[in-house]
Amino acid sequence: MNKKAMIAWIVKLIFWGVIISFFWWVFSNNMFSQLTENPDQFLGLLSRHLQIVLISSSLALATAIPAGILMTRKNYQKYEWLFVNTANLGQTIPSIAILALAMGFLGIGIQAAILALYVYSLLPILQNTIAGLKSVNPAAKDAALGMGMTPGQILFKIELPMAANSIIAGIRTAIVLNIGTTALAYLIGGGGLGVWIFTGIQLFDNTYLISGAVPVTLLAVTVDQLFRLLQFFMVPKGIRLAQKAAVNAV
Amino acid sequence: MKKLIMGISTLTASAAMLTACGGGNDKEVTVGAKNFTEQFILAKMTEIMLEENDFSVDMADNMGSTALRQALESGEVGVTWEYTGTGLITYNDEEPISEKDEAFEAIQSIDAEQDITWTNPSNIDNTYTLVMREADGEEKGIETISDLADYINENPEEMEFATDAEFGNREDGLPGVEETYGFEFGNSQVNEMSYGLNYEALNNEEVDVAMGHATDSRIEEYNLYNLEDDEQFFPSYHASVSMRTEVYEEYPEIEEILEPLSQELDGETMTGLNYQVDIEDENVDDVARNYLQENGFIE
Repeated sequence: MNKKAMIAWIVKLIFWGVIISFFWWVFSNNMFSQLTENPDQFLGLLSRHLQIVLISSSLALATAIPAGILMTRKNYQKYEWLFVNTANLGQTIPSIAILALAMGFLGIGIQAAILALYVYSLLPILQNTIAGLKSVNPAAKDAALGMGMTPGQILFKIELPMAANSIIAGIRTAIVLNIGTTALAYLIGGGGLGVWIFTGIQLFDNTYLISGAVPVTLLAVTVDQLFRLLQFFMVPKGIRLAQKAAVNAV
Repeated sequence: MKKLIMGISTLTASAAMLTACGGGNDKEVTVGAKNFTEQFILAKMTEIMLEENDFSVDMADNMGSTALRQALESGEVGVTWEYTGTGLITYNDEEPISEKDEAFEAIQSIDAEQDITWTNPSNIDNTYTLVMREADGEEKGIETISDLADYINENPEEMEFATDAEFGNREDGLPGVEETYGFEFGNSQVNEMSYGLNYEALNNEEVDVAMGHATDSRIEEYNLYNLEDDEQFFPSYHASVSMRTEVYEEYPEIEEILEPLSQELDGETMTGLNYQVDIEDENVDDVARNYLQENGFIE
């Protein structure tokens, strides 16, 4: 075993040790008591949390991916700076400030939270879509054109599959961030598991904090893994093998 | 790498020297505050008054009640403005007391055992209240919390309630009110949000009832009113100084320095000061300083 692998192995071991002792502490102190005593409330908060994440992420997907495709077409390339900078702006404003701004015209509650998280999720998806499409080998497109494919066919059969890795990575980043940030929806009356996290902070009561924060973390980890799986199936085998070979060569 | 370490150690050393030379006084104290306007103002006044008397003051504000109390117990914070009701009920699981002096003496003796000293009881009673829009309340004929309880029992699921997480889950908050008055908001009727937005939500007719702090200026500004607490559920919440006993013994002058403040401030004055910050958007520092100057507490 070489040195690098050894270090990686030790780090992993420590990591799992920390996780196991955390959960041991949580269960032996009955930190999930909120969750076991108020399952109805928990399900309500969880479903509200999921609702905000799902709606805001789907809207972000539905806007950012088409926008990214459009920005890489010849005729629209000149507008790229506009879209990317707008999305950039959305990301640079602190998430709490976006929430407050959204609340200004949508009032308290779930709509404002959805709008804020939508804006917040745009940039990673947009940037990765553009980067992915730009990285497609021009020779492959030329070859497709030579075979008589239409621009639409080239997009769906060549470009998108080859860019899939990067696009899905962007979606993953956006959604995982989104799940965590949704906890702030509490602040503007949007509900979600943030309610318990903030109750925990304000009352200094760990049972609330843990019952709210651990499910959010697990949710983010699960979704991340799901997208890894999706990435595996969506990316053509040839590209996967080529990337693996490239990594091994380094 | 070597350069970096050198750089860091030089920085640390110079920082340490700077701190050591800072002004030549070694009366240091940390003032803590919770996360709402009145607390910011009180803490700022305290900072100014103490600095006038050669203290060097650190601020630790924007904390939830319980977090602040933990910081006080652990010594991270030395001086805070605390409310008698919170001290009794939230921190010590005692029965609420609605008479001012009685409440103060009770918490004073209970907390003495935990090395926390209470001084300077003021006339600011920032008790919790339930608030409604004047027009709406008139229409529904609700003047007291008992009226509200009757209305809710007749029309369940109709009224929406706004609260912060603290009031929504504290025994002397919503759960206690519901138990005392015999009514209940459904889970879906309780909207939890950051404190302060609850008034906004009420004003925008997004909710029908909200939690409030009696001295909050927005109650007046938005034409809201406090429901009368006819069963006297909400206890006395008189703002007083709560210090670590060790700080109190080291600097007994703090009590004297803050005496004019606790003598002079009452609910009405406090509401006015809150109004300047929350409604007229003046900054806390100016409001605190102006008040102290106008009353001749500082130059």
